[in-house]
Amino acid sequence: MTHHGEYKVPGGKLVVADFSVVANRLAGVRVSGDFFLFPDGAIHVIAAALEGAPVDALPSHWADRIRAALDPSVEMLGFGPDDVAEAVRRGLHG
Amino acid sequence: MSRRLCAGGCMVDEVLAKWRAARWSIIPETVESPAMHVALDEALLNAVIAGTRGPTLRFWAWASPAVIIGRFQSLKNEVDAEAAQAMGVTVVRRLSGGGAMYVRPGASITYSLYVPDAMLQGMTIRDSYAFCDAWVVQSLRKLGADLSYVPLNDIASPVGKVGGAAQARRPGAVLHHTTIAWNMDAGEMMRILRIGREKISDKGIGSAAKRVHPLSEQVSVSREQVVATLEADFRHQYIWEAGSISSEEMAAASSLVHSKYGMIAWTQELE
Repeated sequence: MTHHGEYKVPGGKLVVADFSVVANRLAGVRVSGDFFLFPDGAIHVIAAALEGAPVDALPSHWADRIRAALDPSVEMLGFGPDDVAEAVRRGLHG
Repeated sequence: MSRRLCAGGCMVDEVLAKWRAARWSIIPETVESPAMHVALDEALLNAVIAGTRGPTLRFWAWASPAVIIGRFQSLKNEVDAEAAQAMGVTVVRRLSGGGAMYVRPGASITYSLYVPDAMLQGMTIRDSYAFCDAWVVQSLRKLGADLSYVPLNDIASPVGKVGGAAQARRPGAVLHHTTIAWNMDAGEMMRILRIGREKISDKGIGSAAKRVHPLSEQVSVSREQVVATLEADFRHQYIWEAGSISSEEMAAASSLVHSKYGMIAWTQELE
């Protein structure tokens, strides 16, 4: 089953998470939206950081995985790791 | 250019001095296909990185109606591809982030700035968005439009959004491009773009169409006069020369159309 979650950051941008759940873990994660991200290749780092994350974890855990994976020089404008986690949470729980 | 852009310490004066010292190339509106336009953005950005081109301002003209989606958007989430095809609207993905835009020939004003990154050095990306469009806001205000820059990337009137900017950055250079709605068919736009409820959840309004306030409703001159005024005001502020796209740059852009911007693999990348 595929999951789809959207979160509009108040005053910021739309973040969308599409993924499946396999053995209670996130799989095939795609993160999209109308945000800005520099450098653009970091979009794949964000998605990869969520791959295999346990679905019963707290959203803050998913956000921490993203923070840990991103190089400190990456700039996220209009959204942040917690907003991606919120999109995932909405994808799981509606 | 205004100091009100930021409270202080945000490098406006330093960056402005560099922009004033530089020799700018200004490329007037050229009609190209949507895929060619987004490919030209990458080709000209690469030319600035390679040092074969200096800072450049380029105006676009659309050959056909198009939806240009942002680098990080999901095509199927943003666009009704069947409706777009039925209406003869090409869908392309650009190099920069941000949101989808719907453009028609003669109905938008679009321009790109290609700048060596040293010319924006020290300025935050957020501040650079406002800085790169400040001359346009000033110019359009002069024509009577009640506009201001709304961070992060909007040019807006008290009624709604008039234009939006986006940037792509590579080591060596920055691409900043902006599209201003001249006039629009909100019904057409709503048939093609999927603008979900979530997206406008913090705007306090019920209809996404209400978010756009086209410039033609705010000024009494023609679209051509607006473009001419923008060009003239830019020329007035900076050292400039009449520019054109070189045959090498056209070839590089054509090659990018065939390998990337005209390919479904790129347009559907985040599915």
